[in-house]
Amino acid sequence: MNVTHDTNNRTTTIHAAGRLDFEAAGAFQKDLEQAVADAAAGGHALVLDCAALDYVSSAGLRVFLVGARAAKASSVPFAVYSLTAAVKEVFDVSGFGRIIDVLADRAGALEKVGRSA
Amino acid sequence: MISLTEELTLLAVEDDGRIAYTAGSPNFAMALVGACIVDLNKAGRVDADLNGLNVLSHEPIGLPAQDRVLEVIAAGPVQTTERWVLELQGDSPDLVRMTLAQLQKRGILHQAEKRFLWALRARRYPIDDGGKEQKEAKLRILAALLSDGLPTPDDSMLIGLAVAGGLLEAFLSKSEIARLAERIAEIGGLDLVVRGVEAAIRADAEVRAHAIMLSIH
Repeated sequence: MNVTHDTNNRTTTIHAAGRLDFEAAGAFQKDLEQAVADAAAGGHALVLDCAALDYVSSAGLRVFLVGARAAKASSVPFAVYSLTAAVKEVFDVSGFGRIIDVLADRAGALEKVGRSA
Repeated sequence: MISLTEELTLLAVEDDGRIAYTAGSPNFAMALVGACIVDLNKAGRVDADLNGLNVLSHEPIGLPAQDRVLEVIAAGPVQTTERWVLELQGDSPDLVRMTLAQLQKRGILHQAEKRFLWALRARRYPIDDGGKEQKEAKLRILAALLSDGLPTPDDSMLIGLAVAGGLLEAFLSKSEIARLAERIAEIGGLDLVVRGVEAAIRADAEVRAHAIMLSIH
């Protein structure tokens, strides 16, 4: 799994690519928790670009919940966007769409977290 | 910290040490198998996706019930969590016994023989730690259901499996469960393994209903 970050217009974007399985989950969780802490400290919003994330397992899915929970607890606006069909199916089956803002594209995600595209 | 399987089993122990009748139900059996799989997932022995439950390592985790489930899954074909839960539900009495023994080993409860009607003996499991672990599990469930925050993955899975196994009724009234239904649906079981357990329970209920219908005609 490959993870990169960039920050523009008070919004941090995490670009996640590859496979989010048990092996990758621990490092990604640390990364996401740190990004939430940094966003909270800087008054930033956080969006997660999943366009190149092609696999999420049960262990990987829990990282999204940990991240969303940390963001909510820190009052960091948080949204996920551009899910691939495979990852969207995992979100739909597990019910994550009910607790996390999942948007079709970056513009929608930025609007959701209160930032213009 | 005790495992999810131990927490779920503890929720089935009543105040007087009796094991709740719920623990004999197919739904509890399947929830318990699911809890074992979740513990194995958290320990990095298996990982689940929509196509199947994949074994990552055969190394035991040192908890007898979970290791028994790992042994069976590792020896079998790759198949969905739902399929494994349906296949392993018959092992539930053994898994409960192993988990109760593990809880005794941790000093959380002990085994006692009680006599009633002078002759009949019943085995009970009075709780020894002042009920700390059991109370904590119940409080975590209630706190997650009554707050408007997001649950931890552990709390979400515990709620999902407690609901699936019919254990909420042990400490919440029917009206409270009805009042919390929307919140339970929102935050309970946000996990592929728990969703597999729910699918297995639905499939099992359909098979049973079909069998009853066949016997009527």
